[in-house]
Amino acid sequence: MRILLIISMSLLFGQIAFGQIDYTKLIIGRNQGTHYFHDGDSTRVFGFTETLSEETKIPGPTIEVNYGDSVKIDFWNVSQGAPHTIHLHGLDVDQQNDGVPMLSFEVEHMLHGYYYFKAPHPGTYLYHCHVGSTVHLQAGMYGLLIVRPSNGEMNLNWDNGESYDREFSLLASEIDTVWHNDTILDHEHDPMMPLMVPETFNAQYFVVNGLSGSQLNDPANYMYFQPNEKVYMRLANLGYYGVRYIFESALNARTVASDGRPLPNEQLGDTIEVLPGERYETFLQFGNQSSSILTVEHFNLNTLEVSASQEMVFWSSSVGIDEISSVSIYPNPTDDLIYFSDSPVDYDITDITGKAQIKGFSKSSSLSRLPSGIYLLRIEGRTYRIIKN
Amino acid sequence: MIRSLSISFLLFALTINVYSANIDLRLEIFSGDLSMFDNSIIPVITYSDSSAFSPSSPILIFEDGDVLTIKVVNSDINVHGFKVDGLIDIGSIAAGDSVTQVITLIAGIYKYYDPTSIENQYLGLSGLIHVKESGDLTPYFYWNLREHEPELNNAVSSGGSIDQTLYSPKYYTINGNSGDAIDNDAQAKIFGNVNSEFRLVIMNHGLSIHSMHFHGYHLLILDNSKNSSHNGRDKDTFPVYPGHYQLLSATPDKPGEYPIHDHNLIAVTGGGQYHTGMITTMLIAP
Repeated sequence: MRILLIISMSLLFGQIAFGQIDYTKLIIGRNQGTHYFHDGDSTRVFGFTETLSEETKIPGPTIEVNYGDSVKIDFWNVSQGAPHTIHLHGLDVDQQNDGVPMLSFEVEHMLHGYYYFKAPHPGTYLYHCHVGSTVHLQAGMYGLLIVRPSNGEMNLNWDNGESYDREFSLLASEIDTVWHNDTILDHEHDPMMPLMVPETFNAQYFVVNGLSGSQLNDPANYMYFQPNEKVYMRLANLGYYGVRYIFESALNARTVASDGRPLPNEQLGDTIEVLPGERYETFLQFGNQSSSILTVEHFNLNTLEVSASQEMVFWSSSVGIDEISSVSIYPNPTDDLIYFSDSPVDYDITDITGKAQIKGFSKSSSLSRLPSGIYLLRIEGRTYRIIKN
Repeated sequence: MIRSLSISFLLFALTINVYSANIDLRLEIFSGDLSMFDNSIIPVITYSDSSAFSPSSPILIFEDGDVLTIKVVNSDINVHGFKVDGLIDIGSIAAGDSVTQVITLIAGIYKYYDPTSIENQYLGLSGLIHVKESGDLTPYFYWNLREHEPELNNAVSSGGSIDQTLYSPKYYTINGNSGDAIDNDAQAKIFGNVNSEFRLVIMNHGLSIHSMHFHGYHLLILDNSKNSSHNGRDKDTFPVYPGHYQLLSATPDKPGEYPIHDHNLIAVTGGGQYHTGMITTMLIAP
């Protein structure tokens, strides 16, 4: 009853404070999702969706609004168990709309809660549940929120700002499956009592946009660009490790904003370190390269050691990859020998950046001296993607 | 010149008017126990500005141009020291001995510490000095961040060394406090007013990196010891690296109570309980 009253008051005051609503977004809270990792394992997750029918994914849907909009988030909690909220991270909303239990309101199962805010400076923000936040955020209740320029222009960073051809948003986090056990996720909720949690967090999976390991450099998840494009990167971290996004120097990375505000001085450098809760916005300038590697390092904030170094791929749309199923290339992946023809042919193998590795005239090739990773095999004018274990 | 100075250095420097810029300060080194919110006990060594053990080293507030006569007494059983980079170097002090030095202070934020070992600093022998600009009446709040791994404290207290590759803290404190005690610390919990600037100094005395997030407000970086090129940034989340500090400023535009916490959300827990770690609020009056 108390919660219903508070929610009603929130609705009333929200409407008074923000007047006409320009944009309403429905976000649904769920607690029975399944997240699948690159190694075939899976774990239970919480999350946010836009419809009841869609799968619960990590991260939740990206919310996009325009600068100056009066926004209403209609949060519908369809998850039995503890209540949830939406904290609008970085949006500098007032206390009532901040999504912090005890200081505003929480939303029980099958109830709606309404959050109102005036969209602040264009930029990259976050949203997440703030009930038992260490548990619920790790469980998967988070996503990006992007404020576009006032006219809604998609290829401009802010009003009278700098334009670009294409943008990608990367939200890093981690998963420690211990924290996803039912005994942790289905916790008792009494805001007056301490919430018991594991004493440590030791992630087994380091994710970007919910992807880990081989999912990150799978062609289905390549970041495709056209030659000579200027690309805008929104780089965020909502995990419990530090993250370094490391671009190739040829892209001349230039960071112009952080936490939804322009930097007073641009930050030049290929490595952008993003700590939990931070966001950075970075320009990249592509040339005629066919691809480029983005290395994503997760590092432990206590030991300061790198816990995972994974690669994502920018791939030029002008470079095609031929279907490997159309020819006999086996085994792929391989530990050593790879066979690609019944009779000797000219071939060359490059790494993903196009750097030559092996060249020859044969029916097969040994990859034994190459590090594990993805390579490109070119034979008879066609390009195939091969993997060295 | 009339200005203010705290006699204990544990509360705001607003309690006693003094007429001189000559200040005598006695710091004494003791070993003792730090109590956590769950009554766990962790062995520490700290500087105290009284003749008794203090669970955390004091925050020392002065004014530019003050002439400080500092006496450091080592009442521990091991050799210790006292140093402020670029300001004071008392060197090492044998057990039971003391050293006195006179120094004219220069405006700035400093870390004082025991230079004899990183282990002694980890155990608690470091603190914050703020030498204010003359006439600076801005309200300041101070956070000394520190994390604690009880087994490591026990090992280091017995002569062991730190292997950070194995570091896995269990408790996280602000000014030596955990749990509700943080909210009862007048130097940590921010009380402000709409349209009135306040400033916050966050200094990291621990081994871990902390990422402090503010609800309700972006704050301006006035000074950042890790990377001065970041000064002038307007952010809601601030990395605070080991041994470094951030000086932040905000002028609130709306009332309310807003949390501030480490967004490595493990650091808002402690001893397996949420939320007892690095979290407090700022309370802004209309």
